[in-house]
This record gives sequence, C-alpha cells and structure tokens, in this order.
Amino acid sequence: MDKKNLPKVSRDGLFRQNIVLMSGLVTAPIIVAATTFERALILTLSFLLISYTSILICRFIPRRIVYTVRILAYVGVAAVMYIPTALLMNAWFPETASHVSMYIEILVVNSLLLAKTESRFYLMPYGEMAIDAFVYVVGYALAAFVVGIIREFLAFGQLFGFRVCDAPMPAAKTTFFGFFLVGILAAVCRAITNHRRRRSENAGIIRKGAE
Amino acid sequence: MEVLARIVSVAMVSVFVQNAIFDRAFGSNVVIYASRKNSTVIGFTLGITAMTTIASIISFFVDSALLNTQFGWLFMPLIYAAIIGALYVLALFFFWKVFPKIFRRMRKYVHLAIFNCTVIGALFLNSNYGSDLPSYIGYGFGTGIGFFLACFLLNVAREKLDSDKIPRVFRGYPIMLVYIGVVSLAFYALAGYTADF
Repeated sequence: MDKKNLPKVSRDGLFRQNIVLMSGLVTAPIIVAATTFERALILTLSFLLISYTSILICRFIPRRIVYTVRILAYVGVAAVMYIPTALLMNAWFPETASHVSMYIEILVVNSLLLAKTESRFYLMPYGEMAIDAFVYVVGYALAAFVVGIIREFLAFGQLFGFRVCDAPMPAAKTTFFGFFLVGILAAVCRAITNHRRRRSENAGIIRKGAE
Repeated sequence: MEVLARIVSVAMVSVFVQNAIFDRAFGSNVVIYASRKNSTVIGFTLGITAMTTIASIISFFVDSALLNTQFGWLFMPLIYAAIIGALYVLALFFFWKVFPKIFRRMRKYVHLAIFNCTVIGALFLNSNYGSDLPSYIGYGFGTGIGFFLACFLLNVAREKLDSDKIPRVFRGYPIMLVYIGVVSLAFYALAGYTADF
C-alpha cells in the first residue's frame, strides 16, 4: 500500500491532549469510580463502546444540520449505544458493573463526544478521524488504568485483584483522594509533555514557540 | 408547609452532604470552566439550576412509570437525554424570542450548561434515592445550588491558584483538581461518610 494513502496518526490524545489528565473533559468516572483495575477496565470498555462508536456514527451527521439538532443527535446516539454496553458490562462483570453503573450512564453526555466531534473530528477525513478518536480512547484508558492500579494498591492492598499486603491507605478509594491523584498525575503528564517538547525544540524537530 | 420543609431539607443534603461536584465529581470540568468569570458563574448556575429542577420534576413522573419495569433502567439514559434535549430546545426558543440579546451571548456555551454530568447525574441520583415529588424537586434545586457553591469557591481562589507561588506544572487544571480535592475533604468531614462508588 502506498504510504501516502495511509491516514496520519496523531498521538495528541495520548498525552498532550489526554482527555482526563490534560484537558479534563471526562474526569468524573476516573475520579470517583476508578478505585480498582477491574473498575477502570469496565469504565474503559464502556467509554470505548459508548463514545468511540458514537463518534464514528455521528461523523455521518451532515454539518448543514443546525448545531442544536446535531448536539441532540450526538446525545441520542450515545444513549442508544448505552443499551448494548450496559447489557455487555452486566454480562461480563456481573458483580462490579452495578457499582459503577451511574458513571457508565453519564458517559452519554461526555465532552469528548459533544465538544471534540465539533472542534476536531469533523475536520478530518474519516479514516484519520477514526484513528485519532481511538488514540483519545487509549489516552483515557491509560489514565483510568494508572489511577485504578494505584488506588487498588493503596485502598485495598491488592494488585489486579490479588492481595499483596494490608491496605496502606484505605482513604484512597474516596472522592477527595481521586481529585488529589488525578491532579498530581495531570501535573506529571504536563511535566513529561513539556520535557518532550523542550527536547524536540532543542533537536530542531519543531520550531521554538510553535503550537 | 410540610412539603416546603421537605424540599428545603433534601436541597440542603444535596448542597452540603451529597454535593454533585465535591462528592460525585459530576461536571468538575464544567465547574473549572464556569468559575473563570463572575458572569459565567451566574449564567451557568442559573442554567444548571433551572435544568436540574425542571428536569427532576419531569423525571419523577417518568421514573414512576418506567423504573419498576424489567428493562426500564436500560432506557433511562435515552429518556433523560430526551427530557434534557426537549428543555434545551425550549430554553433556546424562549431566549431567542423573548431575550434575543441574551440569546446571542449565551448561544456559545448554553449546551455546556445543559448537556453535562451535573444535570443528567442529578436525574440518575434522583431515580436512585428520590422517593416523592418534593424530594425530587429539592434534590434538583439543591444540585444547582451545590454547583454554584463549587463555582464560587473556585472563583474566589482562582487568583491564588494561578499565582507564581504555585509550581509551573501545577498551575491551572492540576492545582484546580487538588484544590477541589481539599474542599471535597472538608465536605467529607462535614458529611461524615461518602457514597460507595
């Protein structure tokens, strides 16, 4: 296949524009519900099934339709996608899915779908958009898993469901700890992005001050 | 009088004990956005409070009819989205006709004030914990006031959070989250418990 015909892959969604750690578009499920690896996995799969598929479908909604109606259509598609997602999650994770169900339900109005579809995904060719949106989902998954694994260890003394020690910090499962942890990880992510950017500037790969 | 007392008591619970932002993190990104200016704090608060209150009243009747059916829970997001969508269109139409100047100003961010986790989350919490119409109204109204409280607390601290005393990598979004976490910890102490999520 000709290399020119391959869609461009932007890695913005992984770190530089990570929707949890950098732009904060979809934070509530991670802050509150991602207290174990399994819960993070459920949230990630739900996010993939609801948001990613909705973005792929919503891309076919013509832009000449007024913005008000387009927004309603996005939410409607996501709400329909919720139905198979909820059934699948309850079948795959019968014990845990009910504990995070509210945070799966609110994904129908997530900002990746409502904001990025308009500002970013509509402006790209379909293939490129599909990959780009998937990279955003991977970025979400990275944040969810890191938060889930750290909190599972601190709050329950477990890793991937296996007990390793007594819980070092039971408060790690609370909402306020979720805010602290995501805030600190956001700063770490920003530091890494700034470091990589400076390195690229020094190497002359990108122009200084360029966005 | 009894009904009013019930509305006020449930509203107090949703403001201080189960605050949508500090206890559930619903709409934390919207709070950060809305707290930037006084005008957006007021605009978002009015929009969200009106939405959560009116949508809660409608959802009470929907919940009574559908929630007890076998697969009703599967369609709740769709139904709640339809309720919020209908209110969104009605609100836009109302402002377009009655207050065209305000309509032009709010058009840019009105969908952010309506289609967010705070509004739809209030409806889901109502369906889980609400029992009668006054409790639905109280919870919906209290969610909006709780959102205002969060916006206000963030708005007054914003200048200090953006100061040079804060390490550069923490300035902006990361320190906002840490700050919300500190306030959330205070609310946790006030409530004495947290929801099991």
